[in-house]
Amino acid sequence: VATTLEEQAQGPRSAEEERLLALRRKEVRDRWMWRIAGYVFFLAAWAVASRIIGENLFPGPIRIARTIPELIESGRFFSSFAATLTRIGIGFGLAFLIGVLIGVLTQSRWWSGFFKDGVTISLVSPSLIWALTGLVIWGFEPQGWIFAIVLTSFALVTVNVAEGIRALPKDLTDMSRAFGVTNWRRQRDIVFPFLAPFVFTALRFGFSVGWKVTVLTEVFSSNEGIGFEMRVAQQLFRMDEFFSWAISFFIFALILEKLVLQRYERKFFRWREEVAA
Amino acid sequence: MATVATTTPKAGGGLPAWVRSPKFARLLFPFVVLGVWYLIYYTIDSRIFPSPQQVAVFMWEEITLTSGVRYSSVAENLYVQFGITLMRLTIGFFIALILGTIVGLAMGISKKADAFFHDWVMGFLAMPALVYALFLGIALGFTNIGPIIAVVIAGTPFVIINIREGVRNTPRELIDMARSFEVPQNKITRHVLLPSLMPFFFAAIRYAYAVGWKGLVITEVFASDRGMGWTIKFWYDAHRAHGVIGYAVFFIVFAMALEKLVFDPLADRAFKWRPKIDAVQMAEGDFGAVSREGLLLIEDQEIEEGVSMTNVDGGRDG
Repeated sequence: VATTLEEQAQGPRSAEEERLLALRRKEVRDRWMWRIAGYVFFLAAWAVASRIIGENLFPGPIRIARTIPELIESGRFFSSFAATLTRIGIGFGLAFLIGVLIGVLTQSRWWSGFFKDGVTISLVSPSLIWALTGLVIWGFEPQGWIFAIVLTSFALVTVNVAEGIRALPKDLTDMSRAFGVTNWRRQRDIVFPFLAPFVFTALRFGFSVGWKVTVLTEVFSSNEGIGFEMRVAQQLFRMDEFFSWAISFFIFALILEKLVLQRYERKFFRWREEVAA
Repeated sequence: MATVATTTPKAGGGLPAWVRSPKFARLLFPFVVLGVWYLIYYTIDSRIFPSPQQVAVFMWEEITLTSGVRYSSVAENLYVQFGITLMRLTIGFFIALILGTIVGLAMGISKKADAFFHDWVMGFLAMPALVYALFLGIALGFTNIGPIIAVVIAGTPFVIINIREGVRNTPRELIDMARSFEVPQNKITRHVLLPSLMPFFFAAIRYAYAVGWKGLVITEVFASDRGMGWTIKFWYDAHRAHGVIGYAVFFIVFAMALEKLVFDPLADRAFKWRPKIDAVQMAEGDFGAVSREGLLLIEDQEIEEGVSMTNVDGGRDG
């Protein structure tokens, strides 16, 4: 089958195919042009706004581009990133494990009923209340920010895993029950492989919430990290440094979330699409 | 009869049926939370960690206005603080809805507009509230304008992506068919376009309100001298843990009331026209409406991927 397909692809294209291809190329070119136009427009709007408001209060893109290298030279840049990433690793790592565990437990109607309200509460309430509650109780102790990060971000992980549980092919689990397969083996051989893509999506969504609450906890109870640096720069009215911290970590998190995690998600689960096709 | 009812399930699972029912588990949850709270209370080495009774007393005094705490001359008590936040939220929400609908419609209809706005909408969508909260505090001081802008910044991207998806999901065949049968345009709009947009528009409202509120309370901490966010920060600065926890519970009650009393009935109305499949899914769904929203987000992400995939392919072609 493969060879015939290749031969077909190598053969001369018909006029219709050529036309479609040209159309498609034009579409892609248009898309990129408008995309670049969007970047030019928004960056220009930012520059103009900073001119009107004042460079010191609302620094423009050029000023930011100059400040970020200065921060890197100052030596605090990478240590702050490392501090924040450590917090994310510990706090969100724990939240992720708890979230997946609860998500897997929702296979049982009892546990799903048990955690239902807890998950809803975590989803609808702002991260601020967990941050302040955790920090007023535990202060600088790690329990405080771990409490805040876990309670804010576990629910999004759980919801996505539970979505996978709902899509679980019922005939497979029914059959395994009928043949007397033990619960542990059913989990290992049917549920977990099936859940894997959902868990990856859950990781990505959870991370998008987790890093924000981590930065928030650093504002209130930390002496290092991005949130701390942002708060200090803001209190010293160094808005250029403030925006440089904010934007550099923001871009870093976006790249991690959209490019790295999303790409791996796709790479890992390409086989599934092939099966579906 | 009663003995039969209680003994039969015992033979099956070892526990009576009412213990094994999900409803019982749901009722059990708050008691387990209270139990954990007491466990921390009796083991923690902290002078300010309150017991549940202390928090309950605090909340009762706040509700009945007998605590004697007067926050400020303009916003004296709990109700005024919440009212101020609600007012800011509603104003910002309507601005976000209008702005987001315009941009979302443009992005759904025109591919060029989509390419133009896409990356920036995604950027604003992912921006932490802390960034604009700290900036608005310095730029605008303690006015109403800062918090309202925060709601607009937080809510608009969610309106945009939902409206865009709604426009993309309009049933083309139905519109084509209606056109070929010469159905007047206003009838097409009313009977085809609007009903298919409705769920997305509704999701947009729900998201914008919830996310706008979350952004707003953080902004009120840094850029306001009143409002819900400011009040919980007030107790935090005073190192009164019972105040912070009490207000955290008020926040949760507020959010849950919004969900159950406003959005769930609205959702029922908005989805009424849909076939019964959804009703079955909702009944079976473990996390009800919330997971449906999660799904919506996932779908959006997949569409994102689709867009970038075509870009990659197109790049190879060219």
